[in-house]
Amino acid sequence: MAELAQELRIPVAQARRPFRRHFEREGVLGYLLITPAVLYILALVAYPFLLALWFSVSDATVGKPRGDFIGLGNFQWAIQTDLFKEALRNTFLLTILGELLKALLGTILALLLAREFRGRRFARALIIIPWSIPIAIGSIAWKWMFDSTYSVVNWAGVHWHLMADPGPNWLGEVNWALASITIVNVWRGMPFTAIIVLAGLTSIPQEIIDAAKVDGANFWRRWNDVMVPIMAPVLFIAMLFSVVFTFTDMTVVWLLTRGGPGNHTQVLASLAFQLGIISTALGRGAAISLFLFPVLLAAALWFLNVLKKRELGI
Amino acid sequence: MSAAVYSLENQQLARSTRRRIHRRRLVGSSLAYVATGLFVLFAIFPVYWMFIATFKQNSDLYSITNNPFWFNIPATWENVSYLFEKTQFVRWCINTLEIALLVVAITLLVSIPAGYAFARLRFRGSSTLSIAIFLTYLVPPTLLFIPLSRVVSQLHLQDTIWSLVVVYPTFTIPFCTWLLMGFFKNVPKEIEESARVDGCSRLGAISRVVLPVSLPGIFSVVIFAFTLAMQDFVYALTFISPSDQKPVTLGVVSDLVRGDLYFWGSLMAGALIVAIPVSIAYNFFLDHFVQGITGGAIK
Repeated sequence: MAELAQELRIPVAQARRPFRRHFEREGVLGYLLITPAVLYILALVAYPFLLALWFSVSDATVGKPRGDFIGLGNFQWAIQTDLFKEALRNTFLLTILGELLKALLGTILALLLAREFRGRRFARALIIIPWSIPIAIGSIAWKWMFDSTYSVVNWAGVHWHLMADPGPNWLGEVNWALASITIVNVWRGMPFTAIIVLAGLTSIPQEIIDAAKVDGANFWRRWNDVMVPIMAPVLFIAMLFSVVFTFTDMTVVWLLTRGGPGNHTQVLASLAFQLGIISTALGRGAAISLFLFPVLLAAALWFLNVLKKRELGI
Repeated sequence: MSAAVYSLENQQLARSTRRRIHRRRLVGSSLAYVATGLFVLFAIFPVYWMFIATFKQNSDLYSITNNPFWFNIPATWENVSYLFEKTQFVRWCINTLEIALLVVAITLLVSIPAGYAFARLRFRGSSTLSIAIFLTYLVPPTLLFIPLSRVVSQLHLQDTIWSLVVVYPTFTIPFCTWLLMGFFKNVPKEIEESARVDGCSRLGAISRVVLPVSLPGIFSVVIFAFTLAMQDFVYALTFISPSDQKPVTLGVVSDLVRGDLYFWGSLMAGALIVAIPVSIAYNFFLDHFVQGITGGAIK
C-alpha cells in the first residue's frame, strides 16, 4: 500500500486515511473557513437587528439606552401619527412610481444598446455613470440643478418657452419635490435596470429570435412570448434589488428636501433617522424603520423562490 | 424575350423593395441614435453640470441672466483652491482611502475562506448558509443604523473612521463571498487535485494553486468592496460628526453647507473629483458585477 502510494506520489498519510475520515475533515475545514463570515454577520447584522427589535418595544433614548419595556406603544404611536402615515404613503408612492419608470426606461435603453452601432461600448460606459457615482454626490448635483433661484432646468425651460416664468419651485412644493425625488431615483436606477436587461438580452440565443421572426412574430410577440420568459429570472432579481434599494433609501430624500417642505416628503427611512438619530428617540426610530422589514422579508422570500425554481430547472 | 422582360421587371421590383427597406432601416437607426443620445444626455448632464459649476466664477454662477451652460466670463480655479485650502477635503479623501483599504482587507480575509468553503467543500447546511449570507446583503443600512449607532458607541468607535471600518464589511462580506464562490466554482477541480497529489495540503493547494488562478476574480472583489465602501452615506452620517473624521462623500455634502448657504462651486468641485475616479473604476468591474448579481444565470 505504502509502495503503491509512493509510486502514485500520494502522501502516505493521505493514502492510508479512510474515505470517511477524509470526508469528515472536509466538513470540519468547511465550518472553520466560514466561521469568520458567520461571526461577523451574527455580531454586526443579527445582533443589531435583535437590538432594533428590543428598541422598538422600549422607550429607549440616547440618554437612556437601556430603556423600559412599553409593549407596542411605539408602533401604536406611529400608526396614529399623520407624519408616519404620510411617510408610509410617500415610501410606497416613490418606490412604485420609480420602479415603473426605471423598468420602462431601462428596458427601452437596453433595447437601444443591444443594437450593433458605432460607439456602443462608449455609450454603455457613459450610461452607467449615474449608477456608479456615490448616491450622495449625485443627489447634491441634482439639488443644485433644482435650486430655487438658479435652476438650470427652469432656465432652459423658460428660455425655450417650455415653461411659464419662473417655472416650478422643484424642492419647495410637495408634489414637485416628490417629482424631483423620483427623477433622481430614476436617473440613478435606470442604468442598473438597463445593464441587467442588456445582459439578459445578449444571453438569448440569436437562433431563437430568428426562428420567431421566421414564424412571423412581430416585435411585441417576440418580446412577450420569447424574450421576457427567457430573461424572467434575471429580471426578477434585478427588480428585487432595485425595489429594495429604492424602498429603503433615505439619501436622496435627505439631501434633496430633508423631508420638507413641512415634513411632507419624508419616507420611512428618513423619518426613522429624524426621530431615532436627530431627536435621539431610539425606540420610536427603531419602530419606524422596522416597518421596512415586511417588504424586505417578502423580497427575500421572492428571491428564494426564484432561486429554487432555477435549481429545479423550471 | 418575355422571360427577359419579366426578369428585368423583377429585378427593378427587387431593387426598389430593397431601397425601401434600406430607407426604413436608415430612419429606424437614426431614430435609435437620437434616442440613445437623449438617454446619454440625461445620464451625464449632472456631471457636466458639476464641471461647469466647478470652474465658474461666482458672479457668473449666481446670475439668472447669464447663459448657464457655458462660461460667460473667464473660468477660475478659485472654487477648487477653496476646496483644497479652506476645507478638510484632502483629509476626507485620505479618510475614505484608509476606510476603503481596511474594508477591502477585512472583506478579503473573511470572504475568501468562506467563498472557497461554499464553492468546494461539502458540509451540512452549506447551501442554506450561503444563501443566508447572501440575503444579508438585502438588509439595508436604514434598518440597522439605529441599533448600530449604539453598538458603535459601546465599542467606543463613535466619531472615528473606525466605526465605518467595522460596519462596512457587513455589506461587503455577503456580496463578495457570493462573487468569490462563483469564481472558485469555475477553477477546474483537477488542477487543485493534482497539486494535492503532488503533496500539497488542502490549504497549501488553496494558496499555491486556487488563489493565483482566481486573481482576476479577487481583483474585481477588491474594486467592488472599495467602491461599495465609497458609496455609503447613511452610516457615515449617523456615526460621525467631527469634520476631520468624515469620509469624502459626507464631508463634501455637509461641510460646504453653512446653514442655508451652499458653497456650490466648491461643492461641485468636490463632487466632480469624487465622481470621476469612481465612474472609471465601475466600468472595469461591471461585467463581473452583473454576473454576480444574476447569480451566474447569464453566461
